[in-house]
Amino acid sequence: MADHLNTIKGAVIGGKHGEIKGLVQQALDAGLDPGGIVNDALIAAMDVVGKDFGDGKIFVPEMLVSAVTMKAGLEVVKPHLAGGESQSRGTIIMATVKGDLHDIGKNLVSMMLEGAGFKVMDLGVDLNVDKLIDQVKALQPDILGLSALLTTTMPEMQKVIGELKAQGLRDRVKVLVGGAPVDRAFAEKIGADGYGANATEAVELARRFAGAKA
Amino acid sequence: MNLMPDFNRFLAAVRHKETDRVPLGEILIDYSIQSQFLGRPVAADDLPGQVEFWSKAGYDFMPITVSMMSPGKVTEESGITRVLKEMVLREKPGTTDPKAWNLEFTSFIHERPDLDKFPWEAAADIDFSKLHAVKELLPEGMKVIAISGKIFTLTWMLMGFNNFALKLVLDESLVAEVFERVATIQFKALETIFGMDHVAGVWVVDDVAFGTGPMISPAALKKHVFSWYKKVGDRCHENSRIFLMHSDGDLSVLMDDLIAMGLDVIQPIDPSCMDMAKVKKQWGDRICLIGNVSNELLRSGSTPQIEARVKELLRDAAPGGGFALGSGNSVPNWAKYENYTAMRETCLKHGSYPISIR
Repeated sequence: MADHLNTIKGAVIGGKHGEIKGLVQQALDAGLDPGGIVNDALIAAMDVVGKDFGDGKIFVPEMLVSAVTMKAGLEVVKPHLAGGESQSRGTIIMATVKGDLHDIGKNLVSMMLEGAGFKVMDLGVDLNVDKLIDQVKALQPDILGLSALLTTTMPEMQKVIGELKAQGLRDRVKVLVGGAPVDRAFAEKIGADGYGANATEAVELARRFAGAKA
Repeated sequence: MNLMPDFNRFLAAVRHKETDRVPLGEILIDYSIQSQFLGRPVAADDLPGQVEFWSKAGYDFMPITVSMMSPGKVTEESGITRVLKEMVLREKPGTTDPKAWNLEFTSFIHERPDLDKFPWEAAADIDFSKLHAVKELLPEGMKVIAISGKIFTLTWMLMGFNNFALKLVLDESLVAEVFERVATIQFKALETIFGMDHVAGVWVVDDVAFGTGPMISPAALKKHVFSWYKKVGDRCHENSRIFLMHSDGDLSVLMDDLIAMGLDVIQPIDPSCMDMAKVKKQWGDRICLIGNVSNELLRSGSTPQIEARVKELLRDAAPGGGFALGSGNSVPNWAKYENYTAMRETCLKHGSYPISIR
């Protein structure tokens, strides 16, 4: 049993996307618990990938291939999960704020959050306050992730938080901020719930928020 | 203080020699800043105004972009945008959303067949008119540095970053081929540039790192990007031109490779993640550094803070040459004008050799 899990884990870490579906199927055929395959192999592998990325041992391409591999494995196992097991760890809206077209960092965080078992709704770039608020109302996420690469667009984050408060939504959603010019002090100053310096930290924070909610 | 342009002053700094003063250096200064300095509007098509700004403000060279893309962002003016617009409208007549032909929103090469569909020939049609026109306008002693040769960013923008990153692992030969096609165009442009006596160098503006380190592995950068830049450096040096590079991000693990590929100058030593004093100590005898007054400081700082930071940089990086003072990226329209002025004036006031700041 452990062999199957270790093999799947190794395949995700190594980005063996061509092999992953077969390996997951073999594990299912051998009678392994589908929930265990997800948590102890697929998500566990992405934890290792995230740590290696954070430590500078691997880079964006390797991380993305692992994420794609993980997703392919998940597709095979999903139909076998019981109702409760297939639920995500939480729902997250991701967006780059108004005036900012940069999305590499946001996309990485989205990918890693998906790899960690969250349902991610990526709204894209250049999102104004009204659109974001509308989406928070419509999708009712657990977490709102805001990204900015420019010092000139950072203030938009504060506007979003202000509007969430004004519309009585602030207590319903955790706000997570990140991006090159953003730091912890800025996050605290604008009243965000958390700041992730990189994708790994963002995933850790999301887990903490999800855990607190549970 | 001598404000007359003298490219030999900058060249001496590049060769790690002290002259009369520390040179100033930027890849881009927004026209709004240039306008405020001259007290009259300076626009993109006002080449005499631009020359007047760069020479009167104390710069020894002016940067002019001649490439498939403008540095930093793709605009409607960019040659590549015009080419892509034609292609999109040919394939989907009636498209009105400019995002459809803007590389910052749309990528064009996803799979191998897309390689041949892309209008490479049209993309290679680079406009050199500004570079030609400036020749007659330059004051004595002033040279031009051509902003050209971007390879890495253009390749991933053509492919889309996620797709580029995935293909780098899953279909490396496709990525290598896009790199080669982009590089071929940029090399052709270089040969035209080398035919112009008033152009003294080539400045590649190509971000290869995030604040946390390289965007792709150092090995992949070396294989697919720096190998091309080594050839750019060789061609520059064969033609008695200097080779400069701009990259944001933390370049620490790449510095030795950048030096090995023949780079003469690196800019801006991103102040959000690199320390100029440490960089100077570790690599400053092998490469000239330009920078690195933080853009955030230029936006939100006070003039005394700017003055203090410039003095620190002069003290830490200027002795022995190998340094020119500038911003931590470029001077955008959102920099406070008084802070830009303070940066420039503090360098001119305290940057005389020998540096006496303690």
